[in-house]
Amino acid sequence: MHIPDGFIPLWQCAIYYVIALTFLFFAFRWSRNNLNEKNIPLMAVLAAGIFAIMSMNIPIPFGSSGHMVGAAMVAIIFMSPWAGVICIAMVLMVQALFFGDGGVTTYGANVINMGVIGSFVGFYMWQALKHPRLGGLLNLGKYWSVGVAAWIAIFLAACMAAVEMWLGGTFPLGLGLLYMGGYHVMIGIFEAIITVIVVFTLHRVRPDLLAWNSKKNKDDFDLSTGPQESEEAPSK
Amino acid sequence: MNRSTKGVVIGGVAVALIIAILSPYIASTNPDGLGATAEHLNPALMKDNDFVNPGYWHAPFNNYEIWQIGGKLGGILALVLGLFIVMGVALGVSEIIKRKKRSEEAKIIDAKRSDA
Repeated sequence: MHIPDGFIPLWQCAIYYVIALTFLFFAFRWSRNNLNEKNIPLMAVLAAGIFAIMSMNIPIPFGSSGHMVGAAMVAIIFMSPWAGVICIAMVLMVQALFFGDGGVTTYGANVINMGVIGSFVGFYMWQALKHPRLGGLLNLGKYWSVGVAAWIAIFLAACMAAVEMWLGGTFPLGLGLLYMGGYHVMIGIFEAIITVIVVFTLHRVRPDLLAWNSKKNKDDFDLSTGPQESEEAPSK
Repeated sequence: MNRSTKGVVIGGVAVALIIAILSPYIASTNPDGLGATAEHLNPALMKDNDFVNPGYWHAPFNNYEIWQIGGKLGGILALVLGLFIVMGVALGVSEIIKRKKRSEEAKIIDAKRSDA
């Protein structure tokens, strides 16, 4: 899903840069208030893991391939979409500058698609799916809601890329959405599986590193009692 | 970093290294979702190399390869190098954030002291 240089006119790239930098400003602010000695190594190792798995394209039907993005996974682990934004922005920067994966001029657009859309859709979709009203109706369990949220996040990120291509005059809107959406519906299954495996493993091995297990977030996540109104809201 | 966090980091880096080593052998060479869409909807875009790579920036390890080494080994080394660059960037950014936070806290303490 990395948009290379030349796919979007430069003046539009500049607009995407401004939007991406605005989100990065708030992501830095979140990091300043929430990253500490305990979770900084986790963020670094997740970034390294995402870099590695992004390089491994898995084959999908109709002659294409795809890779995981991981924004929803980071957002869910840290219980903040800003965590996903900053983590993916760092990975995308290294990929663009050192490996030519994603353009330098299109970096802003890539941060918006994979970092911002991936994290915000993944995180808030997960919040909605685990909510007793919606989650209760769909009867989704803890890990199903994680997987479905990750799947929808990559699908909508791909749709956003298709819209940017249309605005840039590169793809027609309808067919662009059809192809990009269609391919990423399949890639999203891989995203969902890996996200669930990582969250499940962390929950089993180091539950203290999952932000939903922290004291201030625990009540909010408790599916049996539903979301609690508390004075100390989870930091987002 | 305490002992248990070190375990997570070692485990995570080990998994990432395994993926990096296996990736050149098992990753699909088919175009990704965006590339495949471009091939269907705008094939001229993919053929016109100047347009796809207009030369704004020349990445040193383009296409996840170290061209001086080449082959699968070059691919593996590029990925392992990238993995540690990403970790370095993440830790570097975190360090900048921590220093900024410390200097802001020090300023607040100084301001309180001067008020007192």
